[in-house]
Amino acid sequence: MPIANTPTTVPVVVDEGKCIADKGCTVCVDVCPLDVLRISDLTGKAYMKYDECWYCMPCEADCPTDAVTVNIPYLLR
Amino acid sequence: MVFEPFEDENDLEDLDARLSDPDPAIRRVAVMGLADTADPDAIPLIARAVADSSADVRLQAAIALGEFDGLEAATALCQALQDTDSKVSKTAADSLAELKDPKSADPLLALTNHEDAKVREGALLGLKQLRRPDALANGIEGMKDPVTAVRIQAVGVVGYLKAEEALPALIASCRDDDPEVRRTAVGALAFSKSSHARDALLTALMDEHWAVREIAAEVLGKISTTGDGGPLIPLLDDPYWQVRVKAVRSLGKLKVTAAVAKIGAQLEEQTSNLRKEAAAALGEIADRSALPFLEDLVDDPDPDVRKNVRWALGQIE
Repeated sequence: MPIANTPTTVPVVVDEGKCIADKGCTVCVDVCPLDVLRISDLTGKAYMKYDECWYCMPCEADCPTDAVTVNIPYLLR
Repeated sequence: MVFEPFEDENDLEDLDARLSDPDPAIRRVAVMGLADTADPDAIPLIARAVADSSADVRLQAAIALGEFDGLEAATALCQALQDTDSKVSKTAADSLAELKDPKSADPLLALTNHEDAKVREGALLGLKQLRRPDALANGIEGMKDPVTAVRIQAVGVVGYLKAEEALPALIASCRDDDPEVRRTAVGALAFSKSSHARDALLTALMDEHWAVREIAAEVLGKISTTGDGGPLIPLLDDPYWQVRVKAVRSLGKLKVTAAVAKIGAQLEEQTSNLRKEAAAALGEIADRSALPFLEDLVDDPDPDVRKNVRWALGQIE
């Protein structure tokens, strides 16, 4: 799986202001079927580590603080 | 400080300690962890979070309690239902609707007369699926509520109980000012075989709202006896195809031979679902006078219609 080097261009974007992964939440990481999300050691927030996404949406739907946005490519909408 | 994720989800003590943390986000995550344990011992801890100072924590507690059942969870949810934050009370109502243990009804019964309509609505919503016979009086009382949303839920409570003694109240609700209340009440009559219920259904067939006529056509098909569907025939001229679909379905089920020509005319409709149901109904009636209508449709562009046409032809021949 390709490593996501530039977080701004990946489909799953986490609003660090809203994310509470640094408080112990791991919902988005737990629900991702492709296991592409991680908690950053630096910020304690969730981020997309691997640029691979099925756009299945549970990370966005289940996030308790609405911090996760999945940007679905136009042709898949 | 970065908190480690919960490695041991069964560590209630650790989660309990986090519930007292000054940071509301940590308390919120602790509530999520308590729900994940699925341990009934976590219910009193989550119930404590229902009174948290942060609305986010109370909201998470209302979601978490939906994972549990029984009197203790229901009592906490009833408290959340009365929360001043509308998101919390709405979520509590949704969680109450998930309860299955009849014992959960006790605290709900006390709230059907609450001064806040949202609380009354949520309590009745929770009571509906619990099917407690002693909720009948609360349901009947709720059917006279000035708030429409409460009356809808009250009709649901009474309808689920399928009690003959509630028939007069249900029939009265079939004349309610609100079409959704009338629709729910008409649907709730399906359990009764009484002539009063049948009369109310016949009146509902002429209701001004199409959704009421639609459900009346469906229910009449369920409670009538074979051949006894004559009053449904005029519904085949209804301007709404949804009503015609239900009428066709019921007429087929009741094998109303007098309706064959008018059902046959539905086979020319643009809505393929209507053509499909009409073909099935003609097959159920199995009268030879339907053959010319069906033979015209053996090459219908919709495969479901073709399937039903062939089945119907087989039934007749």
